[in-house]
Amino acid sequence: MGTAQILFWSLTALALISAIMVLVSKNPVYSVLWLIVVFFAISGHYILLNAQFLAIVNLIVYAGAIMVLFLFVIMLMNLNTETEPQKSIWMKFFGVVAGGLLLSFFISFVISSADLKGKSAQLKEGEIGLIKTLGKALFNDYVIPFEIASILFLSAMVGAVVIGKKD
Amino acid sequence: MNAIITSAVCGVIMMFSSVFVENKKTYRHIAAVLLLLLLAVNVADTYGIRLFHIDTKGMLLFDRFGYFFNSIAIASTLIYVVLTGRDIEKVGTYTAEYFVLIFFVLCGVTILSSYNTLLMLFLGIEILSIPLYILTGADKRNLKSNEAALKYFLMGSFSTGIMLMGITLIYGATGTFDIYVTPKETITGQPAIVYSLLESAGLILMMISIGFKVSAAPFHFWTPDVYDGSPGVFTSFMATIVKAAGFIAFIKLFDARADASGVEANAFTGVDWKMLFAILIVSTLLIGNITAVFQQSVKRMMAYSSIAQAGFMLFALFSLNDVAKEGLLLYAAAYSLASIGIFAIMVKMKDHTFEGYNGLSKTQPVLAATNTIFLLSLAGIPLTAGFFAKYYMLASVMKTSGYLWLVIVGVVFAAVSVYYYFRVIQAMYFKDGEATITEEVSKGFKVGIIVLAGLIILFGILPQSLLQWFYF
Repeated sequence: MGTAQILFWSLTALALISAIMVLVSKNPVYSVLWLIVVFFAISGHYILLNAQFLAIVNLIVYAGAIMVLFLFVIMLMNLNTETEPQKSIWMKFFGVVAGGLLLSFFISFVISSADLKGKSAQLKEGEIGLIKTLGKALFNDYVIPFEIASILFLSAMVGAVVIGKKD
Repeated sequence: MNAIITSAVCGVIMMFSSVFVENKKTYRHIAAVLLLLLLAVNVADTYGIRLFHIDTKGMLLFDRFGYFFNSIAIASTLIYVVLTGRDIEKVGTYTAEYFVLIFFVLCGVTILSSYNTLLMLFLGIEILSIPLYILTGADKRNLKSNEAALKYFLMGSFSTGIMLMGITLIYGATGTFDIYVTPKETITGQPAIVYSLLESAGLILMMISIGFKVSAAPFHFWTPDVYDGSPGVFTSFMATIVKAAGFIAFIKLFDARADASGVEANAFTGVDWKMLFAILIVSTLLIGNITAVFQQSVKRMMAYSSIAQAGFMLFALFSLNDVAKEGLLLYAAAYSLASIGIFAIMVKMKDHTFEGYNGLSKTQPVLAATNTIFLLSLAGIPLTAGFFAKYYMLASVMKTSGYLWLVIVGVVFAAVSVYYYFRVIQAMYFKDGEATITEEVSKGFKVGIIVLAGLIILFGILPQSLLQWFYF
């Protein structure tokens, strides 16, 4: 078992355990904190798959920005007490059915795929996930949408100022 | 490309002018000059004078249709700014920023008239929408304006989500963002039906989301509240230029697949696009016209009438032939000009209900007369631009064999629309009352509105005077 294998299995265990902890925790704040651990573990997996850009973006956007938003919402709505509304048995039942179907779909997909057989990590394989490749695509083929998106952001910024500033 | 870049740069210039220019009144003059410049640049582009030489990698495709629509949109905006610039100043404290947002919307319009990939379609729709959310909520002290902005934002982001889902499905089916796809180019190795189903589902989602943007029933629910709640001047902009741009985006997307949208081509997915559009048209005409009949406020009536007019513009999407394309351009011009005129007069009125217009012909004969011409044009009475616009739309459907009933439905609803447009005329001319306007109407405004009415009559007598520019 090489280093990649050890890393892969420990990251997998971490991701699974923290994902379960997200669901099990009674306190929503703990749930969110466990979710951050899940994102870190998954980012580790991305690095093992040689997709550094995706790993970094996953950390910045999900673990950084989105989680802060989550925490803000929880704190603003004062949900950090351990009061959970009682859900009906049917809701739980259908939740389990829907989740189970999704899980079985993913498992069958992974099992039936020939490419994925017996693989855990793809260190130093391929370059599709590298920032260099992404940058080349972004500034060659997709340079027009990339530049025009800046107009979108500029208009959104002007709009935010117009709406947000005091009269 | 000229218009896209110039409109964005004009927006930035407006932003800086708000820093360096103190006088509020100068902004609209700056905006008008910049719009003239933008129009000149776009016309130059039409005749092959390119300011920028950029390889767009097939992301944008500039053609006569797009250029011509750009010119119509920019010219309408120019008329809009000249006529109602004074009222834009009254909305709030950020006058220059409103013009900035209008320029950015125009940038979105120019992208939508020239997009060639779904990626650019998405960007264009977003650049078009986001400034509009802000303009809707520009009147910050007014609760209705706030409500309208929030509603529009939430519903709009939802429809954007649907559009992205549609783009994803189409990408999954064809492996490319290009709008011109021949079915043979799809990835091989899987049965074609899977891809065909995916693509049809994606296109239906696209139809829903763009149908939302142009407020086609049953995706029209946001329209009355948003048009009613937002400041009148911005309703005018939203209901005319922006809506027409939505239709251009719509027809470009489905025109690219005109061959694939036939009944035969979709035999195994079972999607009959003609029938789907026919249902969309009939429900839009029905809901728009019938609900407009029961309105008490002219502003709200105009909101429903814009739904009804959208139903007529959808005829172009139904037939997808040359007459339809020409007709859509004429319709966009006729509808935009007439609506801009009606809204320009409406924002001057103190009372926006039908009673508020009582006896306008006695106090303001010029406004009443021009308003009548605009209303007649919207109703599609001969000698006004609206007549030929509707004529082209129905003629395009006549070319598609087997759908004569749709033409009859269109004519019936055009007749229904006469009722509520004539209610305003009746109030202005045949009812006694003291129609009051908020401030004295300037001479310039009167001249402007007479010129606008003259344009509508010109296009109504000689529609070729507009359409000939399309060909040379």
